[in-house]
Amino acid sequence: MRHALFALLFLTGLLSLPAHAAGMPVPPPGVRVYDIGAAPDFELADIDGNRARLSDARGQWVFLHFWASWCGPCRREMPAIQRMAGRMRGQPLTLLLVNTAEDEDTIFSFMAGTAPDLNSLMDADGQVTEAWKPRGLPATYLVDPEGRVRYQALGGREWDQPEYLGFLKRLVADGANAAGPRD
Amino acid sequence: MHPMKPLAKTRYGLLLAACLPLQALAGAAVMLEFTPRTPEQMTAFYEARGFPEAMLKPLHQQCFITVRVTNTGDEVVWVDLDTWRFSVDGKPLRRYHRREWLEKWRDMGMRPAHRSTFRWTLMPEKLDYQPGESEGGNIILPRLSGTIRLQATFATGTDGKGPPLHREFDNLYCAEDTP
Repeated sequence: MRHALFALLFLTGLLSLPAHAAGMPVPPPGVRVYDIGAAPDFELADIDGNRARLSDARGQWVFLHFWASWCGPCRREMPAIQRMAGRMRGQPLTLLLVNTAEDEDTIFSFMAGTAPDLNSLMDADGQVTEAWKPRGLPATYLVDPEGRVRYQALGGREWDQPEYLGFLKRLVADGANAAGPRD
Repeated sequence: MHPMKPLAKTRYGLLLAACLPLQALAGAAVMLEFTPRTPEQMTAFYEARGFPEAMLKPLHQQCFITVRVTNTGDEVVWVDLDTWRFSVDGKPLRRYHRREWLEKWRDMGMRPAHRSTFRWTLMPEKLDYQPGESEGGNIILPRLSGTIRLQATFATGTDGKGPPLHREFDNLYCAEDTP
C-alpha cells in the first residue's frame, strides 16, 4: 500500500511539470516556460547597417538576447553565446542580439573584444527593449517558428554548456519535425 | 518557522527517495548584496555613456547603492521596493522612485537612449524573483552621512500570498569620494 501511494505521488510530481504538460522540451535550470503569445515584432539595423526583422525568422526558432556593454552579467555571458552559436552552426536557429540604447562605437568595440564572430542589432533609443519589458539585462527569449514566445532565461546562462546546448538542439529538432520538410 | 505545506512534504519524500540534494528544500530564501557607489563613480559611468551635464549634475548629488537580490530558495520571492523602509537614526529616509527620475528626464527633454540606459541601471521596482534568479540595479537615496537602516519585506509564493520574509540591514551607507 505504501509503495503504491509513493508511486502515485511520484507520478503526480512528474505530471505537474508544465513543460511536459505542454508537450515542449523541459528547459534547463534558469530557463522557464514563458508562453506569452505572439512575440512583439521589431526591425533594427546591425552594426554593419543591415536591417533585420524578427518576423523574417519565422519558420525557425529564434534566440533573442538583449544586452548592454555596461552590464556585468552581459559581459560574462556573451562569450558563451558566441561559443553556442558556433556549435549550433547549420542548425535552424536564428540568433538575434539586441543592444539596448548604446552608440555604434560602444557596440562595435565591445563585440570586437568580447564576441568578434557575432553581430548585434542596435536598439538605439531603447524602445524595442522597452516593448519587450525584460526582467533586467541580460535577457534571453526563445521564440518558436510560429513567432510565439515560449521560453525566457532568468539572467545570464552558460549557453555553451551541454544542458543548454542539448536543450536548444532538442528545440530546433522538434521545430523542424513540427514544421515538416522545408525547401 | 512555518509548518511544512503538504506539497513540500510530498517533495521532501520524493527527494529522500530519489537521493536528491536536500538543499532544494530551502523554502523561501533570499540573499542581498549592497555596493555603495561614490559620486565620482556614478558620474564617470553616466558621463561615459554620453549623459549631458543636465543629467549628471542632479545625479552627482545623490546616494547610489547597487543592490543585487538573489532568490536562494525554491519558492518565488517578490521584491517590491515600496515595501522597503530606509531610515537614519530612526527617522524615515525617502527612496527616490524610478518614476520620479524618468519623468524628470522626460520633462527636461533628455534623449530616449539616455532615459533608457538610466532606467536599466536601476533596481526593478517590483519583480517576482524565480528560484535561483539574481537581478540587481541601483537604488537612489538622498545623500547623507551616517548609517542607513533598511527593513525589507518580501512576499513569497507564486501569488505573493505565502509567509513574508523580513530582512534587516543596519550598516548601509553612502560612499564618499576619496579626497
